Amino acid sequence: MSAAAQPGFKARAAAELSNAALKVAIERTTGNAERKRAAAVAAFPEFDAARERGRAIKDHVIAHLDHYLEMFERNATAAGAKVHWASDDAEARAIVTRICLDADARLVTRAKSMLGEEIGLPHALADAGIERVETDLAEHIIQLAGERPSHIVWPAMHRTREQVADLFKAGHHPPPAADDPGTMVQSARRELRAKFLGADVGISGANFLVADTGATCTVTNEGNAELTTTPPRIHIVTAGIEKIVPSTAHAFALLRLLVRSATGGELTQYTTFHCGPKRPGDADGPEEMHIVLVDNGRTRMLGDEFREMLRCIRCGACMNHCVVYRQIGGHAYGGTYPGPMGAVLTPVLDGLAASRDLPHACTMNGRCAEVCPVGIPIPTLLRGRRWISRLPLAGGWTAYRDLPRPAGRTFMEQYRANQAAKGARR
Amino acid sequence: MNARQRILTAIRGSTGAQRPVAVIAAEAAALLGRPEVARPGLAAPELREAFALKAAAVGTTIDHLDRMAEVPAAVRRYLDAQGLPAAVALQPAAALAGLDWGGIATHPDIAPDEAVGVGLAEWGIAEGGSLVIHSGPDNPVLLAFLTLHHVLVLREDRLLPHLEDYALAVQDNPQPRNAILITGPSGTTDIEGSYVRGAHGPGFLHVIMVRDSSDL
Repeated sequence: MSAAAQPGFKARAAAELSNAALKVAIERTTGNAERKRAAAVAAFPEFDAARERGRAIKDHVIAHLDHYLEMFERNATAAGAKVHWASDDAEARAIVTRICLDADARLVTRAKSMLGEEIGLPHALADAGIERVETDLAEHIIQLAGERPSHIVWPAMHRTREQVADLFKAGHHPPPAADDPGTMVQSARRELRAKFLGADVGISGANFLVADTGATCTVTNEGNAELTTTPPRIHIVTAGIEKIVPSTAHAFALLRLLVRSATGGELTQYTTFHCGPKRPGDADGPEEMHIVLVDNGRTRMLGDEFREMLRCIRCGACMNHCVVYRQIGGHAYGGTYPGPMGAVLTPVLDGLAASRDLPHACTMNGRCAEVCPVGIPIPTLLRGRRWISRLPLAGGWTAYRDLPRPAGRTFMEQYRANQAAKGARR
Repeated sequence: MNARQRILTAIRGSTGAQRPVAVIAAEAAALLGRPEVARPGLAAPELREAFALKAAAVGTTIDHLDRMAEVPAAVRRYLDAQGLPAAVALQPAAALAGLDWGGIATHPDIAPDEAVGVGLAEWGIAEGGSLVIHSGPDNPVLLAFLTLHHVLVLREDRLLPHLEDYALAVQDNPQPRNAILITGPSGTTDIEGSYVRGAHGPGFLHVIMVRDSSDL
């Protein structure tokens, strides 16, 4: 669903603010993530240097995106994969659906990919009459609930354990024997195993596209990605064009930032490079591999003031540390991507008219920029969005209210300056 | 114009003319210079100790052996300690198949609910306690994912210090379909952030480190 089809941001936010269970559920996971990230960064004294390097790698790739995309295409093709290009979400959906229909696919398993959500893949598969099984535990939960993700790393963050238990009791055969997380995870393991092995097509995203090998890389904790991409006859990857890195070693430099920033771990349990289909004689693996490279607004960002947003590696730290996100949760934002990074991206994806309140869902305290592992100045980009709402076409909006004045500095910068001034006076 | 041309044309409209490939490559290489300033140090001076410390920290259990010939007995000890029957899915790798498995029944096929899989790690990486496996004719990927207990034999001469060292070690080899870094047993925090092991992959990861594998 696009943001335009929903009630306005303010109405959604007001509704979520009165949802006490939601606040508890969000606080449990984001609070945990915030503490664990802080500990992981404290245990990695080189973090600032790593962040500077990560930012430089992303800027280098973005400045030579055409070169690296062509290199990736060449190497992935040489490895036996078929590379497809999609200008927008509709083209991407059509390519994936066509591959599935040509293969007479009845059952598709999918490993969590926000790009897949962005291009509306779940609905497209349903419209094509193909059964889709989400295999990431959180995606499984929200598929049972008929919802969309509320966070890019923990898509079911808004659901309490009691609510998950109710969903599994109704959706699992047999239902789980108890509602503690351990028993419920075992129930999902049982429930999904036959789906993994019976699927015709497995669809994954990519955390990195490695230009000099043509491999795609997934970073997961559950093992569901490999169970999705190995047994079916066809493996399809959908990925944004900004996911490119020059080499495996560059991917590792970003991986150190990604995992610590996302979950507070050092590495995820599984870091998997997928390079072409199974080789002749291989014991298992898909016979076909397709990679769909998706633009969907990214080349437009390359040419405007939101270019720095193309550095984003989708860790979710900005939302875990956002006071607004932690009050209202992800669904109130109305787009595929919630929180601070979503407030920048959603207008690109869904249009400004549908999302013009989003830049104001921000206190300008600057926490998002402080924790961003690739140095994206999110508050500055959001201030840019606020000015955009003064464009002549938005005159109806500015005619009846004062335009909020952008803060010159973030709250945290001002706070530190004030503290320093106080210290100097002592 | 097709989508490919549209995308590449739009990029070039923003980034300008491409610089020489050699210049781009030199810049990319420079971004990886002096890796030690931007990565964590090892947990201990010795590789085997550094690896073992990090692996244990993510929930991997570890056994130490002197020789490959001792591997079947070590697997037997693990099965007994876990209360498991003496039957395992065994990776069809020469280094494992050539061992005397004695009273342990081994089979090459992996059942959908296979209890135990025993395989050979291609590499170990000390930085985070990771094990690397490569798919191939003698290594099914599913051995590492359908099993509840995943046992990996790691030859200590295959230990590397850092992630970049792995990239360097394999850069001239043909890429396998899958290269997988395994860092601890499968887990999830998707229900209220509480950590549960064995989400879809193995709930138990056991590493048998072999000091001298020259008896292969």
